[in-house]
Amino acid sequence: MEDIHIEGVHEAFFTPTVNFEVATGHCEISGESYLEETSKFYARLIEWMKKYIAEVKGPLTFDFKLSYFNTSSSKCLVDILDVLKKYQNDGGKIEVNWYYDDTEEELEEVEDFILETGLDINKIPIEI
Amino acid sequence: MESAVTEKHRMVDNIAISYTGIFDTEILSVLAKEIEGTLSPDDKVNKKVFKIFIELAQNIAFYSLEREANAEGNDTGVGTMIIRNFDDHYVFSTGNKTTMENIIPVMEKCDNINSMSREKLREYRRLQRNMPAGEKGGGNIGLIQVALTASNPLEYSLIKCPDGTYFYIVSVRIDKE
Repeated sequence: MEDIHIEGVHEAFFTPTVNFEVATGHCEISGESYLEETSKFYARLIEWMKKYIAEVKGPLTFDFKLSYFNTSSSKCLVDILDVLKKYQNDGGKIEVNWYYDDTEEELEEVEDFILETGLDINKIPIEI
Repeated sequence: MESAVTEKHRMVDNIAISYTGIFDTEILSVLAKEIEGTLSPDDKVNKKVFKIFIELAQNIAFYSLEREANAEGNDTGVGTMIIRNFDDHYVFSTGNKTTMENIIPVMEKCDNINSMSREKLREYRRLQRNMPAGEKGGGNIGLIQVALTASNPLEYSLIKCPDGTYFYIVSVRIDKE
Protein backbone atom coordinates (compact mmCIF):
# COMPACT_ATOMS: atom_id res chain seq x y z
CA MET A 1 0.00 0.00 0.00
CA GLU A 2 1.03 3.60 -0.54
CA ASP A 3 1.36 6.75 1.54
CA ILE A 4 -1.23 9.50 1.23
CA HIS A 5 0.04 13.01 0.57
CA ILE A 6 -2.52 15.75 0.01
CA GLU A 7 -1.45 19.36 -0.19
CA GLY A 8 -3.84 21.70 1.60
CA VAL A 9 -5.74 24.29 -0.43
CA HIS A 10 -7.37 27.48 0.83
CA GLU A 11 -9.64 28.67 -1.97
CA ALA A 12 -13.42 28.62 -2.30
CA PHE A 13 -13.30 25.42 -0.23
CA PHE A 14 -10.54 24.46 2.22
CA THR A 15 -8.77 21.16 1.80
CA PRO A 16 -6.68 20.03 4.76
CA THR A 17 -3.08 18.90 4.35
CA VAL A 18 -2.88 15.14 4.83
CA ASN A 19 0.21 12.96 5.31
CA PHE A 20 -0.32 9.27 6.09
CA GLU A 21 2.87 7.15 6.12
CA VAL A 22 2.80 3.39 5.79
CA ALA A 23 6.38 2.86 7.02
CA THR A 24 5.92 4.68 10.34
CA GLY A 25 2.15 4.62 10.86
CA HIS A 26 2.36 8.37 11.40
CA CYS A 27 -0.72 10.22 10.19
CA GLU A 28 -1.24 13.96 10.24
CA ILE A 29 -4.22 16.07 9.21
CA SER A 30 -3.59 19.80 9.38
CA GLY A 31 -4.87 23.14 8.14
CA GLU A 32 -8.56 23.70 7.49
CA SER A 33 -11.37 21.37 6.53
CA TYR A 34 -14.37 22.77 4.67
CA LEU A 35 -14.96 20.67 1.59
CA GLU A 36 -17.39 20.39 -1.27
CA GLU A 37 -17.55 16.60 -0.97
CA THR A 38 -16.65 15.96 2.65
CA SER A 39 -17.63 12.28 2.89
CA LYS A 40 -15.83 11.39 -0.32
CA PHE A 41 -12.62 13.10 0.86
CA TYR A 42 -12.59 11.36 4.24
CA ALA A 43 -13.72 7.97 2.85
CA ARG A 44 -10.33 7.71 1.12
CA LEU A 45 -8.52 8.32 4.44
CA ILE A 46 -10.67 5.79 6.29
CA GLU A 47 -10.11 3.22 3.54
CA TRP A 48 -6.35 3.73 3.95
CA MET A 49 -6.62 3.23 7.73
CA LYS A 50 -8.62 0.03 7.36
CA LYS A 51 -6.12 -1.34 4.85
CA TYR A 52 -3.19 -0.43 7.12
CA ILE A 53 -4.89 -2.11 10.08
CA ALA A 54 -5.65 -5.26 8.05
CA GLU A 55 -2.30 -5.57 6.23
CA VAL A 56 0.44 -3.72 8.11
CA LYS A 57 -1.02 -4.21 11.60
CA GLY A 58 1.51 -1.68 12.94
CA PRO A 59 1.13 1.20 15.40
CA LEU A 60 -0.80 4.33 14.40
CA THR A 61 0.06 7.81 15.60
CA PHE A 62 -2.47 10.48 14.67
CA ASP A 63 -1.77 14.20 14.86
CA PHE A 64 -4.80 16.40 14.32
CA LYS A 65 -3.70 20.00 13.72
CA LEU A 66 -6.83 21.53 12.27
CA SER A 67 -7.31 25.22 12.90
CA TYR A 68 -10.81 25.06 11.42
CA PHE A 69 -13.29 22.35 10.47
CA ASN A 70 -16.98 22.72 9.66
CA THR A 71 -19.69 20.52 11.16
CA SER A 72 -19.75 18.17 8.14
CA SER A 73 -16.03 17.57 8.60
CA SER A 74 -16.47 16.97 12.32
CA LYS A 75 -18.77 14.02 11.56
CA CYS A 76 -16.01 12.49 9.43
CA LEU A 77 -13.40 13.16 12.13
CA VAL A 78 -15.57 11.14 14.51
CA ASP A 79 -15.55 8.31 11.93
CA ILE A 80 -11.73 8.36 11.91
CA LEU A 81 -11.61 8.29 15.72
CA ASP A 82 -14.10 5.39 15.76
CA VAL A 83 -11.78 3.36 13.50
CA LEU A 84 -8.88 4.11 15.87
CA LYS A 85 -10.94 3.12 18.91
CA LYS A 86 -11.92 -0.17 17.33
CA TYR A 87 -8.28 -0.89 16.43
CA GLN A 88 -7.25 -0.19 20.01
CA ASN A 89 -9.99 -2.49 21.33
CA ASP A 90 -8.68 -5.19 19.00
CA GLY A 91 -5.19 -4.82 20.44
CA GLY A 92 -3.70 -2.23 18.06
CA LYS A 93 -1.21 0.33 19.37
CA ILE A 94 -2.41 3.88 18.84
CA GLU A 95 -1.64 7.40 19.96
CA VAL A 96 -3.85 10.41 19.20
CA ASN A 97 -2.72 14.01 19.62
CA TRP A 98 -5.14 16.89 19.11
CA TYR A 99 -3.71 20.38 18.70
CA TYR A 100 -6.29 23.09 19.30
CA ASP A 101 -6.40 26.88 19.47
CA ASP A 102 -6.22 27.70 23.15
CA THR A 103 -9.81 28.82 23.77
CA GLU A 104 -12.47 27.38 26.06
CA GLU A 105 -14.74 26.56 23.14
CA GLU A 106 -12.09 24.61 21.23
CA LEU A 107 -11.05 22.71 24.35
CA GLU A 108 -14.71 21.70 24.73
CA GLU A 109 -14.68 20.41 21.16
CA VAL A 110 -11.74 18.09 21.89
CA GLU A 111 -13.34 16.95 25.14
CA ASP A 112 -16.53 16.19 23.24
CA PHE A 113 -14.59 14.07 20.74
CA ILE A 114 -13.18 12.14 23.71
CA LEU A 115 -16.63 11.66 25.27
CA GLU A 116 -18.15 10.74 21.94
CA THR A 117 -15.62 8.08 20.94
CA GLY A 118 -14.24 6.87 24.29
CA LEU A 119 -10.73 7.42 22.93
CA ASP A 120 -7.86 8.70 24.99
CA ILE A 121 -6.77 11.86 23.14
CA ASN A 122 -3.81 14.03 24.15
CA LYS A 123 -4.99 17.64 24.25
CA ILE A 124 -2.28 20.06 23.13
CA PRO A 125 -3.15 23.78 23.30
CA ILE A 126 -1.64 26.21 20.79
CA GLU A 127 -1.37 29.93 21.57
CA ILE A 128 -3.26 32.11 19.11
CA MET B 1 -27.14 45.78 26.86
CA GLU B 2 -29.48 45.50 23.87
CA SER B 3 -30.54 42.19 22.43
CA ALA B 4 -30.28 41.31 18.76
CA VAL B 5 -34.07 41.50 18.53
CA THR B 6 -34.33 45.15 19.56
CA GLU B 7 -31.41 45.96 17.28
CA LYS B 8 -33.10 44.39 14.29
CA HIS B 9 -35.39 47.39 14.08
CA ARG B 10 -32.38 49.38 12.95
CA MET B 11 -30.88 46.75 10.72
CA VAL B 12 -29.17 49.43 8.62
CA ASP B 13 -27.10 50.87 11.49
CA ASN B 14 -23.53 49.90 12.32
CA ILE B 15 -23.08 47.70 9.26
CA ALA B 16 -19.61 46.21 8.94
CA ILE B 17 -20.33 43.79 6.09
CA SER B 18 -23.53 43.21 4.19
CA TYR B 19 -24.40 41.18 1.14
CA THR B 20 -27.58 40.29 -0.70
CA GLY B 21 -27.64 37.90 -3.63
CA ILE B 22 -26.75 34.41 -4.63
CA PHE B 23 -24.97 32.32 -1.94
CA ASP B 24 -22.61 30.76 -4.41
CA THR B 25 -19.28 29.17 -3.44
CA GLU B 26 -17.17 31.84 -5.15
CA ILE B 27 -19.01 34.72 -3.48
CA LEU B 28 -18.96 32.99 -0.11
CA SER B 29 -15.20 32.69 -0.36
CA VAL B 30 -14.89 36.45 -0.91
CA LEU B 31 -17.09 37.13 2.13
CA ALA B 32 -15.15 34.55 4.16
CA LYS B 33 -11.88 36.36 3.38
CA GLU B 34 -13.35 39.68 4.54
CA ILE B 35 -14.49 38.12 7.82
CA GLU B 36 -11.28 36.19 8.47
CA GLY B 37 -8.95 39.02 7.65
CA THR B 38 -10.43 42.39 8.40
CA LEU B 39 -13.55 42.30 10.52
CA SER B 40 -12.04 42.59 13.98
CA PRO B 41 -8.49 43.09 15.29
CA ASP B 42 -9.10 40.04 17.50
CA ASP B 43 -8.44 36.79 15.62
CA LYS B 44 -10.46 34.79 18.14
CA VAL B 45 -13.53 36.90 17.42
CA ASN B 46 -12.96 36.69 13.65
CA LYS B 47 -12.77 32.93 13.90
CA LYS B 48 -16.06 32.77 15.80
CA VAL B 49 -17.82 34.97 13.24
CA PHE B 50 -16.27 32.92 10.45
CA LYS B 51 -17.49 29.62 11.93
CA ILE B 52 -21.01 31.01 12.28
CA PHE B 53 -20.88 32.42 8.76
CA ILE B 54 -19.99 29.05 7.19
CA GLU B 55 -22.86 27.20 8.87
CA LEU B 56 -25.56 29.83 8.25
CA ALA B 57 -24.45 30.62 4.70
CA GLN B 58 -24.67 26.94 3.80
CA ASN B 59 -28.25 26.88 5.07
CA ILE B 60 -29.15 29.70 2.68
CA ALA B 61 -27.36 28.02 -0.25
CA PHE B 62 -29.25 24.77 0.39
CA TYR B 63 -32.64 25.84 1.71
CA SER B 64 -33.58 29.34 0.49
CA LEU B 65 -36.84 29.34 -1.44
CA GLU B 66 -35.48 31.97 -3.82
CA ARG B 67 -33.02 30.35 -6.20
CA GLU B 68 -30.81 31.33 -9.11
CA ALA B 69 -28.35 29.57 -11.33
CA ASN B 70 -24.71 30.48 -10.63
CA ALA B 71 -22.02 30.99 -13.32
CA GLU B 72 -21.68 27.20 -13.74
CA GLY B 73 -25.44 26.84 -14.05
CA ASN B 74 -25.88 25.21 -10.62
CA ASP B 75 -29.06 26.05 -8.74
CA THR B 76 -28.12 28.07 -5.61
CA GLY B 77 -30.01 29.84 -2.84
CA VAL B 78 -30.41 33.61 -2.69
CA GLY B 79 -30.37 35.49 0.59
CA THR B 80 -28.95 38.26 2.73
CA MET B 81 -26.13 38.44 5.23
CA ILE B 82 -25.45 41.38 7.55
CA ILE B 83 -22.73 41.79 10.16
CA ARG B 84 -23.20 44.77 12.45
CA ASN B 85 -20.46 46.09 14.69
CA PHE B 86 -21.25 47.50 18.16
CA ASP B 87 -18.98 48.59 21.01
CA ASP B 88 -18.77 45.25 22.77
CA HIS B 89 -20.29 42.81 20.28
CA TYR B 90 -21.15 41.94 16.71
CA VAL B 91 -24.57 40.84 15.49
CA PHE B 92 -24.51 38.34 12.66
CA SER B 93 -27.78 37.98 10.73
CA THR B 94 -28.85 36.02 7.71
CA GLY B 95 -32.19 36.16 5.92
CA ASN B 96 -33.83 34.17 3.21
CA LYS B 97 -37.20 33.49 1.66
CA THR B 98 -39.09 30.46 2.85
CA THR B 99 -42.56 29.00 3.31
CA MET B 100 -44.42 28.66 6.60
CA GLU B 101 -44.39 24.90 6.18
CA ASN B 102 -40.60 24.74 5.80
CA ILE B 103 -39.70 27.24 8.48
CA ILE B 104 -41.82 25.98 11.40
CA PRO B 105 -39.47 23.04 12.13
CA VAL B 106 -36.45 25.38 11.92
CA MET B 107 -37.98 27.80 14.44
CA GLU B 108 -38.78 24.85 16.70
CA LYS B 109 -35.14 23.77 16.46
CA CYS B 110 -34.03 27.28 17.48
CA ASP B 111 -36.41 27.27 20.48
CA ASN B 112 -35.17 23.84 21.48
CA ILE B 113 -31.52 24.92 21.23
CA ASN B 114 -32.20 28.12 23.19
CA SER B 115 -33.84 26.15 25.99
CA MET B 116 -30.73 24.04 26.60
CA SER B 117 -27.82 24.66 28.95
CA ARG B 118 -24.36 24.63 27.39
CA GLU B 119 -23.73 21.14 28.76
CA LYS B 120 -27.00 19.86 27.26
CA LEU B 121 -26.20 21.53 23.97
CA ARG B 122 -22.80 19.81 23.83
CA GLU B 123 -24.49 16.49 24.54
CA TYR B 124 -27.00 17.22 21.77
CA ARG B 125 -24.17 18.01 19.34
CA ARG B 126 -22.47 14.70 20.18
CA LEU B 127 -25.73 12.88 19.54
CA GLN B 128 -26.37 14.66 16.23
CA ARG B 129 -22.83 14.05 15.07
CA ASN B 130 -23.33 10.31 15.34
CA MET B 131 -26.36 10.40 13.07
CA PRO B 132 -25.73 9.46 9.45
CA ALA B 133 -26.00 12.46 7.10
CA GLY B 134 -29.46 13.03 5.72
CA GLU B 135 -31.18 11.16 8.54
CA LYS B 136 -34.10 12.89 10.26
CA GLY B 137 -32.81 15.54 12.65
CA GLY B 138 -29.34 15.43 11.10
CA GLY B 139 -29.61 19.02 9.87
CA ASN B 140 -29.65 20.41 13.39
CA ILE B 141 -25.93 20.32 13.89
CA GLY B 142 -25.19 23.58 12.05
CA LEU B 143 -27.55 25.56 14.29
CA ILE B 144 -26.22 23.84 17.43
CA GLN B 145 -22.71 24.78 16.35
CA VAL B 146 -23.76 28.41 15.83
CA ALA B 147 -25.28 28.61 19.34
CA LEU B 148 -22.22 26.98 20.93
CA THR B 149 -19.77 29.16 19.02
CA ALA B 150 -21.59 32.40 19.85
CA SER B 151 -22.48 31.38 23.44
CA ASN B 152 -25.68 33.32 22.87
CA PRO B 153 -29.25 32.41 21.90
CA LEU B 154 -30.46 32.19 18.32
CA GLU B 155 -32.96 34.97 17.70
CA TYR B 156 -35.28 34.74 14.75
CA SER B 157 -38.12 36.62 13.15
CA LEU B 158 -40.45 36.08 10.25
CA ILE B 159 -41.74 38.76 7.88
CA LYS B 160 -44.67 38.09 5.58
CA CYS B 161 -43.97 38.98 1.95
CA PRO B 162 -46.68 40.34 -0.38
CA ASP B 163 -46.49 37.17 -2.51
CA GLY B 164 -47.54 34.98 0.45
CA THR B 165 -44.06 33.64 1.17
CA TYR B 166 -42.03 34.58 4.26
CA PHE B 167 -38.66 36.18 4.88
CA TYR B 168 -36.89 34.42 7.73
CA ILE B 169 -34.14 36.20 9.68
CA VAL B 170 -31.87 34.52 12.19
CA SER B 171 -29.52 36.66 14.30
CA VAL B 172 -26.88 35.83 16.82
CA ARG B 173 -24.77 38.05 19.01
CA ILE B 174 -21.02 37.51 19.23
CA ASP B 175 -19.40 39.21 22.22
CA LYS B 176 -16.00 40.84 21.84
CA GLU B 177 -14.56 38.99 24.85
